[in-house]
Amino acid sequence: MKKINLALSFAVVLVVLSGCGDKPKSDVVKYKYTPEQVYKETCLHCHGPKGEGVAEKKGPALTKQSVQELEMSLFDIKNGGLGGQSTATEHEVMEHNMKKLAEKGYDYDIKMMANYLHNTFNVAK
Amino acid sequence: MKSNKIIEDILFEIEKHEGGMSRRNAMKFLAASPIAASVLASATTATEAHASSSNATGKIVIVGGGLAGVATAAKLTSRLSNPNITLIEPNPKSVSYQPGQTLIAAGVWQKSDIEYETANFMPKGVKWIKDSVVSFDPQNNKVKTADGTEISYDYLVVATGLMLNFGAIKGLEGEITSSGANDVVRTKVGKDGVYSIYFADGAVDTKKGIEELIAKAKAHKGPEKLQAIFTDPDTAIKCGGAPKKIMYITHDLLSKAGVRDKVELTFCPSGDKMFGVPEYNTAIFEQFKARDFKWEFKTNLVAIDTEKKVATFEKKWLEKGEYDEDLKEYTMISMSKNVEKKYDFIHITPPQKAPDVVGKSPVGSSKGWVPVVKETLQHVTYKNIFALGDVAAVPMGKTGGSARKQYNVVAENLIAVMEKQEKLPAAYDGYTVCPLITSIGTVALLEFNWTAKPAPSFPLDPTQERWIWWLLKVYALKPMTVYGMLSGRA
Repeated sequence: MKKINLALSFAVVLVVLSGCGDKPKSDVVKYKYTPEQVYKETCLHCHGPKGEGVAEKKGPALTKQSVQELEMSLFDIKNGGLGGQSTATEHEVMEHNMKKLAEKGYDYDIKMMANYLHNTFNVAK
Repeated sequence: MKSNKIIEDILFEIEKHEGGMSRRNAMKFLAASPIAASVLASATTATEAHASSSNATGKIVIVGGGLAGVATAAKLTSRLSNPNITLIEPNPKSVSYQPGQTLIAAGVWQKSDIEYETANFMPKGVKWIKDSVVSFDPQNNKVKTADGTEISYDYLVVATGLMLNFGAIKGLEGEITSSGANDVVRTKVGKDGVYSIYFADGAVDTKKGIEELIAKAKAHKGPEKLQAIFTDPDTAIKCGGAPKKIMYITHDLLSKAGVRDKVELTFCPSGDKMFGVPEYNTAIFEQFKARDFKWEFKTNLVAIDTEKKVATFEKKWLEKGEYDEDLKEYTMISMSKNVEKKYDFIHITPPQKAPDVVGKSPVGSSKGWVPVVKETLQHVTYKNIFALGDVAAVPMGKTGGSARKQYNVVAENLIAVMEKQEKLPAAYDGYTVCPLITSIGTVALLEFNWTAKPAPSFPLDPTQERWIWWLLKVYALKPMTVYGMLSGRA
């Protein structure tokens, strides 16, 4: 038991030294445009002014998804998959388009964009 | 004291397996390894941090008694002064330690090393109903079990885990869990070159399968190499690293047998990257190149002919379409075709889904997974329902490491709901960890979260393969999970 107590005290000291338990410092990301600006200047071309979708551009409607579904989809699009490793995105073409949009500054916070889309277009209620 | 139990168990594991490592040296390792330190520290401090208990009352029903369900029950038991908890789980070995399945295939552990009796970990006072839930009625706060009993609740926690859907691959049959009945799946998987470590018996079979591959390679003549293929499906999966870990293990065993040059190892995932965190992605590409691994992205297993030993993959790619004036870019057209590959050995990571009884119920969603606010883990529609573990619809969240963070969040937020607080105090940040086994003896400890950036707990380069992380994986994580997490303390 003495040894164990010794190991434990070492352990606690090391934890303090390594700063374990602190949350990793997250960078504050600044976005050039608001979700509304991003939508009106880019997304609208394929998803429509009311989020109703544009068939000839293969842009699906965004009006019927819950805010949670929108958030998951946007996560999938921006991260190229939901799994974090080698599992495919469900939005192959949009993942490509999103990369191009981000290069042009049309990036956004996922939660803010999901809330904007839901508050502005949702008709499912 | 629980923390002593954890240390004792780590030492016991080391003595059992590592004849060459003395208890004294093991102690040195424990003291020198920061993560082991954090394990022990969290085991000792966690209870003190929440010494105050809540007087909130109400009947809590937890559906599912895997790591997530039992850990949540334990945490709630310790935090509530008058807990009223019912847990519904049919499998007497539901708390089996699934992360050990890779080590079974590697020949380092036996199946008995990962099997635990749920009864030994059920917190005192929790009413355990040994049955399956067959329907959810969240409007009336009730669930029904297979024997027809209706069970009402004030608060519900959904922690059923997920289903391994082998039947979604044409040519295979069955939908199973990692430790339950699996006869149907095993008519085709676990023999004749077709293997999967995603269930415990399958991991035992995989060890034999690698031995067979080695024997075949030793007898193999001619310039053509034997083909070993490793798949990764297009659904969310538990343990995103396992499809690669088994490839590293196979490589290592082939190399040690002196026949690595007789076999070509190819990774065929549905996606187009090794890892969503750029730093880890780069590191894995380097590891693949160093081992002469091949890879074909966007190549998803859809069918298999186990007689002819031919696997069919749907291969996808994007083709440049017309120029789009609005986008100021070329449009992209999604293309696909089926390609056949002969195999001598194939490791299948099965497509995975929420159990239909959950996914197709009112608590499920169009994709099956239980829709929760990913930070609070509260159901988006029913405020008295929470979900965690593999069945919850959160990105990157299907690992034991995620569940270890999630159960604290669920317990704290559920208590806040019970206390009628307006704001939920706890938030999950997407933390998950992939102890990537890169050989028998080395692990890269890849920790990350929803920011898609490395989130290392320690001041060490996380992309490096290290022996100390192997020791962590083989000796420390299991006691930490089994005695720390299942008691709600770490």
